[in-house]
Amino acid sequence: MIYYLYDGTFPGLLTALYEAFYSSKAPDKILRKTDYKDNLFAEKVNIRTDQNKADKVYNAIKKKISSPSLKIVYYSFLSELKDVEILIYYYLKLGFKMGSKVENYIIDEKILKLVQVRDKVARERHRLLGLIRFRKLNKQLFYAPIEPDYNIVTLLAPHFSSRLPDQNWIIHDLKREIAVIYNQREWVLTGLSKREVMYDQEELFYQDLWREFFNSIVIKNRKNSSLQRQFMPKRYWKYLIEKK
Amino acid sequence: MELKEKLRILSDAAKYDVSCSSSGSSRKNTKGGIGNGVSSGICHSWADDGRCISLLKILYSNYCIYDCSYCINRASNDLPRASFTPEEVAELTINFYRRNYIEGLFLSSAVEKNPDYTMERLLKTVRLLREEYKFNGYIHLKAIPGADLKLIREAGRYADRMSVNIELPSRKSLKLLAPQKKMDSIINPMKEIGNNIMENKEDRKKYKNTFNFVPAGQSTQLIVGASPESDFQILKLSEKLYEKYFLKRVYYSAYIPVSKDNNLPRLDKPPLMREHRLYQADWLLRFYGFKAVELLDKKNPDLDTRLDPKANWALNNLKFFPVEVNKADYEMLLRVPGIGIKSARRIVKARRTGSLDYYDLQKFGTVLKRARYFITCNGKYYGGIPFREDIIKERLLKGTDIGIKQLSLFNDRVPVPSIVNLLPLSSGGINK
Repeated sequence: MIYYLYDGTFPGLLTALYEAFYSSKAPDKILRKTDYKDNLFAEKVNIRTDQNKADKVYNAIKKKISSPSLKIVYYSFLSELKDVEILIYYYLKLGFKMGSKVENYIIDEKILKLVQVRDKVARERHRLLGLIRFRKLNKQLFYAPIEPDYNIVTLLAPHFSSRLPDQNWIIHDLKREIAVIYNQREWVLTGLSKREVMYDQEELFYQDLWREFFNSIVIKNRKNSSLQRQFMPKRYWKYLIEKK
Repeated sequence: MELKEKLRILSDAAKYDVSCSSSGSSRKNTKGGIGNGVSSGICHSWADDGRCISLLKILYSNYCIYDCSYCINRASNDLPRASFTPEEVAELTINFYRRNYIEGLFLSSAVEKNPDYTMERLLKTVRLLREEYKFNGYIHLKAIPGADLKLIREAGRYADRMSVNIELPSRKSLKLLAPQKKMDSIINPMKEIGNNIMENKEDRKKYKNTFNFVPAGQSTQLIVGASPESDFQILKLSEKLYEKYFLKRVYYSAYIPVSKDNNLPRLDKPPLMREHRLYQADWLLRFYGFKAVELLDKKNPDLDTRLDPKANWALNNLKFFPVEVNKADYEMLLRVPGIGIKSARRIVKARRTGSLDYYDLQKFGTVLKRARYFITCNGKYYGGIPFREDIIKERLLKGTDIGIKQLSLFNDRVPVPSIVNLLPLSSGGINK
């Protein structure tokens, strides 16, 4: 069994894929270094991330397969699901043969699986575009804590940088201790540990108004909590102003 | 009065307006501005009744000169009254928007003083938001029936969506329950908005810098169950509104007793199932290529509450079934009970790469519970029972013990992005 071990970054994965296509030892598994547990039968190949090789794979997917396929690869990488890397490898092997048709080749179970993973990540991204709540902190900074299932902060950042370009804001993934930070010009991804925050004085005023609105907009004759939870699962309530 | 109290009164008064959609507009942010539109729409929360909250839905004022018997804000109702100022509405909108509570504003109003006065206040508010605050988020604005059409036209330059509520499905019922409102004062602004949308579309093709008039289109709402019209009458009306005035949506609102009046029926509960079936039928009109006369007629003027309208149609038209999933065209696939837009598209795309059998359909998530009785895969029928109307009907009825709780009563859900990404949508889109 040949195990490729990469650093957990997207360029790292692309480099691993590059090696998979060009070396004589094709991988049976591609794993993050941190996920690897010693295994008697494993022949380890350490992948050193190489931006050049990563760019080559990136461009090849875009040109020889399609942009939607690149999206499938990136989104499923962000799912961080177990063994998703080897599915990506399989997808690309087929994709370089079939071209863009591979996106619709869902009678192949592995392709279908990957498309479904892409859907899951896309769905959570869309959900959080609505469910993120910024809190205004001192010093004109807006702060939104989240704990998403998938690693989607980088998918959220472009939306908010075009929508709220005149605000400084941080979207903080507390589960992964990473954040996207925007300074009214550009956003960057960075590591960020949990910390205490101090609210601006008008913050509580608006939170209070929002809760008032949330409660008075309900039609009581039509109460339907299970429908509410179906759309807005409880795991997201922790950081919702209106549900606290 | 404190802002919080005003907000409570004026959102409470606005909640019977069903629409909360924020879809259909992809307005861009401007330099130095705040906000933009996302054409699929975004839901920001869900209230305890399961309805999506996308917009700050408020009345500008609930002081009303009219006394419509079905309406909570009727003049003779004894309840707290309030009016916002344009500045208050703008500040609330901006501050909620900056915190990502909302996608934008849905501003409506009771008729305070007179229709023109009210429409002017609404216009002033949206102009303030767009011009002073440079707000480019979504705005849904009500057109006040009876207001000068010039004011309505002007407001259309600032709004993403406009709506005039038709309230009741016939002139007769409107006369009985809302004697001060005239059907013409509702239809005229609707026509005006429709015409302007069409003209604006043409202009925008010719001239590059033309402003965008009500880019997300217009919608309306009518109350179901407060008056005697049949589902057939209601659906024919909706169909006409879609065809003649190019409406994007007709919303149906199950009548909730909000006041006592001898002209109104006494109901224990709002007719939610009827409302749900109407939404399903409406969906069939807009996205599935059905006509109202295919679903109902004078002899059968009401939708079956036990079975969904598509299954009903299929049972009455078994001659078109079973259809072969590997051959049937997209339009016919859409007519199979249980197959929706997403499944039909997926089938059409997937079968290009190879022929599909029953297990393929199962694997990629087509709901076969109902569809299995109406399809063949490579010539094979998987229904497992004789292909006869009565037998299939019995099976379908057995399978429909879904409680009302599981139904999405307001079809305001935005399509999950995956649908959007799978296929380029035609300009009609899914939830517009």
